[in-house]
Amino acid sequence: MSLRSGFATFAGKSSYWFLHTFLHGGSSLPGKITLKLDPNILRTLGAKYDVIVITGTNGKTLTTALTVSVLHQKYPTILTNPTGSNMEQGIVTTFLNAKHPKTGRPLAVLEVDEANVIKVTQYIEPKAFVFTNIFRDQMDRYGEIYTTYQKILDGVALAPNATIIANGDSPIFHSKELPNPIEYYGFDDQPDQDLKAKPNTDGVLCPVCEHILHYHSLTYSNQGKYFCPNCGFERPELTYRLTKLGEQTPTSSEFEVDGHAFKIGVGGTYNIYNALAAYSVGRFMGVAPTQIARAFNGNQQVFGRQEVIDVDGKQVTIILVKNPVGLDQVLHMIGTDKEKFSLVGLLNANYADGIDTSWIWDGDFEQLTQRDIPAVITGGERYKDITFRLKVAGIPDDKHIVEPDLEKVVDEIKQVPTQRVYVLATYTAMLQMRKILATKGYIKEGLGV
Amino acid sequence: MSYELNVAHLYGNLMNTYGDVGNILALNYYAKQMDVHLNVDIISLEEDFHAADYDLAFFGGGQDFEQTIVSQDIQTKKAELTKFIESGGPLLAICGGFQLLGHYYIGADGEKLPGIGALDHYTLAQDHNRFIGDIVIKNQETGETYHGFENHQGRTFLGAGERPLGNVVSGKGNNGEDGTEGAIYKNVYCSYFHGPILTRNGEIAKHLLVAALKRKFPEEDFSQQEALPIPATF
Repeated sequence: MSLRSGFATFAGKSSYWFLHTFLHGGSSLPGKITLKLDPNILRTLGAKYDVIVITGTNGKTLTTALTVSVLHQKYPTILTNPTGSNMEQGIVTTFLNAKHPKTGRPLAVLEVDEANVIKVTQYIEPKAFVFTNIFRDQMDRYGEIYTTYQKILDGVALAPNATIIANGDSPIFHSKELPNPIEYYGFDDQPDQDLKAKPNTDGVLCPVCEHILHYHSLTYSNQGKYFCPNCGFERPELTYRLTKLGEQTPTSSEFEVDGHAFKIGVGGTYNIYNALAAYSVGRFMGVAPTQIARAFNGNQQVFGRQEVIDVDGKQVTIILVKNPVGLDQVLHMIGTDKEKFSLVGLLNANYADGIDTSWIWDGDFEQLTQRDIPAVITGGERYKDITFRLKVAGIPDDKHIVEPDLEKVVDEIKQVPTQRVYVLATYTAMLQMRKILATKGYIKEGLGV
Repeated sequence: MSYELNVAHLYGNLMNTYGDVGNILALNYYAKQMDVHLNVDIISLEEDFHAADYDLAFFGGGQDFEQTIVSQDIQTKKAELTKFIESGGPLLAICGGFQLLGHYYIGADGEKLPGIGALDHYTLAQDHNRFIGDIVIKNQETGETYHGFENHQGRTFLGAGERPLGNVVSGKGNNGEDGTEGAIYKNVYCSYFHGPILTRNGEIAKHLLVAALKRKFPEEDFSQQEALPIPATF
């Protein structure tokens, strides 16, 4: 370690200690201080680690957490970054906080924001990259799916020897020739048909000849066993295959990968993709399927987003929604509930939510009308937008309560005719709701995600 | 009695950013209240658009890549689309759809890409900047105020025979210079508004539907449909 790096590390660590001890926080400031003193600090900090970078639009956090628990079956020391600290400063802080291992070469499994991949690979050559998916997400910040993928590839270009472990069902990950070794995972549980994605789906053009892609089978959005009837472009050979999809409920999923049975304590097809990604990394790193099954069974707390809150006897589940694909998946997931439920939609449009609320119209709320939902409540700072969305989706006025004030939303929740209540909320609306529930004593203070 | 209208959703599987499909949902919502049934077809790559088959059309915005592809394909539909527009066919075009009805636009890499020139506007680019944010405009003829969210790099300049959809009250509008937003030509409404436009401004949905009804059923009286109240949704 150079003198400069040494000093920068010391300054960052001291600031972390200070912030942590006296201010109960500070996840990116120590990184910021260290970076100011030594912009190349990641080279020094990361040199001791085998690094796995996990990136993509949806599923980064859970895939990272699952991957860590899978790899723990074989590797005792794994460094990882806490939720939300997926930009450069947060990653530097993560390394700063790490205890120095006495022996061996430890692993670091890092969730990295798409545009920040290059800020890691400038200094560290990762052992592997994991690409989860690329969907439209808060486009006022990032732009389009092709731009987002290019940002990732700009980072990957600096690490041509790292293995890419990619979602093979997503056509964009097969669109560019790369020098890296690539392994693909995907769903292979359906007989072949000739299908097209739903009309309002993003990314359905063949990257080779620019015709509309067809599918032998579809999971959701533009993901599946795609092929181009015009030029023959098709899904690559999968290294890791989901061979059977079993029962799905809002709190559990059963499936088989390469013939091995797994169960995870969380619903949603998107979470099966996350588990499949973690499985693939595990296999790549030499973890046995039985060990992976053990990891999936033993790690309920990583699925924290589906925490059930008791509000005077109502079982309330708050689910974060932030883009149309995620929203559709959540709607599909709660639709697998065998019990009747009430639904709450809370919409804000602050920077962290995405300042454009148009995306709620890309979500398929119309599928809700297939269920008899006794009560729907809409609220939040942009309650008018979400209220009209649900009205257009076909929620009848006599079952629809409009209540902008979140305090009163809590009172309304206590009155709904079902025991089960799903609250779909954008990021800041979720934080506000949790704060109110904490003030009223229903949950402990904190994010809980 | 009830009526049927055939709606062409132009390139609905490619030009569909920022919830623009919500315009179709809103059209359906208001059409139901007018006792009108909509049959919506997506007309996309290598598919023909016949002006005579449709009573109403919608053309949404797309990502840069998709819009480049559509810019080529739409040339094969130019004659029929122009016929539809010139014969008073009601059409709503948003963002990229708005641009492609004009003469040309400048793509993400600075290349000049053709529209169909059915309307007399053109679109330039701006360097490293987009117009992003809430926008309010006022239509001087009707006195109606419209709310939307704009998010565009293109700067569009209107030509002869076009009037703006409204004058900018707050926000940037067509080009950030002349205070115009969108365009109206015959029964064509163009705008950069997302939100989507018809979900926040039901009056425009009503104008489109009533225009389509009057054009298809010239003998009928649609005063009841014209009187449909549009409660504020934004």
